[in-house]
Amino acid sequence: MTVGERIDVVGLTKMFGALRALDGLTFTIRPGLVTGFLGPNGAGKTTTLRCLLGLLTPTAGSATIGGRAYRDLDDPLGTVGAALESSGFHPGRSARAHLETVALAGGVEPRRCVELLALVGLTEVADRRVGGFSLGMRQRLALAQALLGDPGVLLLDEPANGLDPAGIAWLRELLRGLAAEGRTVLVSSHVLSEVEQTVDEVVVVARGRLVRQGTLAQLGAGPRAVLVRTPQPEALRDALAGQPVEQLPDGRLRVSGSTTEVVGHALFLAGVEVHELVAEAGDLERLFLDLTAEHPATVAS
Amino acid sequence: MSGLVRSELRKIGSTRLWWGLLLGAVVYTAVQSGVTAGFAGVTLSTAQPATAGLGTAAGIRSVYAEALFTGSYILAMILGITGMTGEYRYQTITATFLASPRRSRVVGAKLVAHLLVGLGYGVLAMVTALVVGGVVIVVRGHGLGYGADRLWPSIVLAVVAVGLWTVLGIGIGTLIRNQVAAVLIGVFVIFLLQPLLTLGLSAAHLDSVAKWLPTNASSALMAPGTAIVDYLSWWAGGLVLLGYALVLAALGIGLSVRRDIS
Repeated sequence: MTVGERIDVVGLTKMFGALRALDGLTFTIRPGLVTGFLGPNGAGKTTTLRCLLGLLTPTAGSATIGGRAYRDLDDPLGTVGAALESSGFHPGRSARAHLETVALAGGVEPRRCVELLALVGLTEVADRRVGGFSLGMRQRLALAQALLGDPGVLLLDEPANGLDPAGIAWLRELLRGLAAEGRTVLVSSHVLSEVEQTVDEVVVVARGRLVRQGTLAQLGAGPRAVLVRTPQPEALRDALAGQPVEQLPDGRLRVSGSTTEVVGHALFLAGVEVHELVAEAGDLERLFLDLTAEHPATVAS
Repeated sequence: MSGLVRSELRKIGSTRLWWGLLLGAVVYTAVQSGVTAGFAGVTLSTAQPATAGLGTAAGIRSVYAEALFTGSYILAMILGITGMTGEYRYQTITATFLASPRRSRVVGAKLVAHLLVGLGYGVLAMVTALVVGGVVIVVRGHGLGYGADRLWPSIVLAVVAVGLWTVLGIGIGTLIRNQVAAVLIGVFVIFLLQPLLTLGLSAAHLDSVAKWLPTNASSALMAPGTAIVDYLSWWAGGLVLLGYALVLAALGIGLSVRRDIS
């Protein structure tokens, strides 16, 4: 069984000229879990991954894998697999040839290329030039490249970009399987809903700083508002005295700061007729937007 | 290290650029060799003295060994430049440095792989010169002249020079990461600016300086029949050319390769 390594990012700071892309970012990623690395575009996710991979030199702080810098790893491809958004392919080179150049350079058996092309579903187009590939096909090829050395740590930058719904479901199963084998899986995304069903934990960053780290439940996930449809809105307001109730354009009432259990119980006791009672969907997305908004300190407290 | 060199060879072989450049080198050499043989010893105008005739060793060497001059060198240099700058242009440098985080090793592997391919270019271009030039010589009623004085050493050194120009191209590409800029600056400086500089230095009686310029060092390798400047000896010429390549690559590793890859 492959055992992943811990990722430690400590006080990571990166300046691009006068721009502070990372500002003392600190977090730890544990093996055996799929961790979502979340933040809006420009939050510093890709910069963090590039510092971890030794492609960027940090201005201050450190980013290590199992306590070691990427440049000091004995077997880099066998330790860490990465698929970065801006990592490219020569448009005139075939998918198979691309993987072979990486395998040869990284000391990986070239026959692994055939296995991985099959795993990501590119066998039929393996000898076609990458220049004609769709974004989804490139994502699959990047994933094959990341898995070449059978690494214990996977760093994937926006891997769901360009995948169709079937592809996203396939990717979710693959990542869950890899984490179940004990590997460390870090998946960055700027869309929470994209990784919501895949991740065990999340690290939320904004403007180069850590905003929140924990499980989705710890983040305050789960419904925080309840939507009710009733012919007796006044009776509902009386039954829920003290709780904020808001009239929605579609005729429903929004009760914030509560759960379906609490609201349902109160309405039952008051004998209020109810036609619909649901937890508000997309609340997590709203929380994410709140967390990464302009002044996160006031929200994240 | 051998894995890295094999990876670089696979990179060269898996796109179409290598044979386009090879085709260019072969065609250019065929034309140059054929034309040189066709007009060797012919007085074209009273203003210009005739070149060495096909009956002389110098004339034979000019048809075969010197046919690689400029054309094959430029194309070999471009192969080297694109071998390095193409990685930045298509962002494959990320995958390359992830597979091998010790970046100077990557540059070293590129130097070796491109030297091998460059030597291959040189051999094929030389075979072309021996065939095309030979046919023209025979048509003009002379012997093939494959046994001419100092011909084979000149041929071997001309082929080595093609390999060294590929290495020089890697050096240029390591220093200048932008592909278009590197090719334009390489061709401009080496093949346009430098001949002018050579003429200027020569006119100012500074041949002792001019002979150290890369193309002149390269010419020294071929033991040319006619020289406008006083060339270095062949081995010194080869070392100077290799030195230029290594200095540029070292500068590139120091100044460019350690930079952030984003």
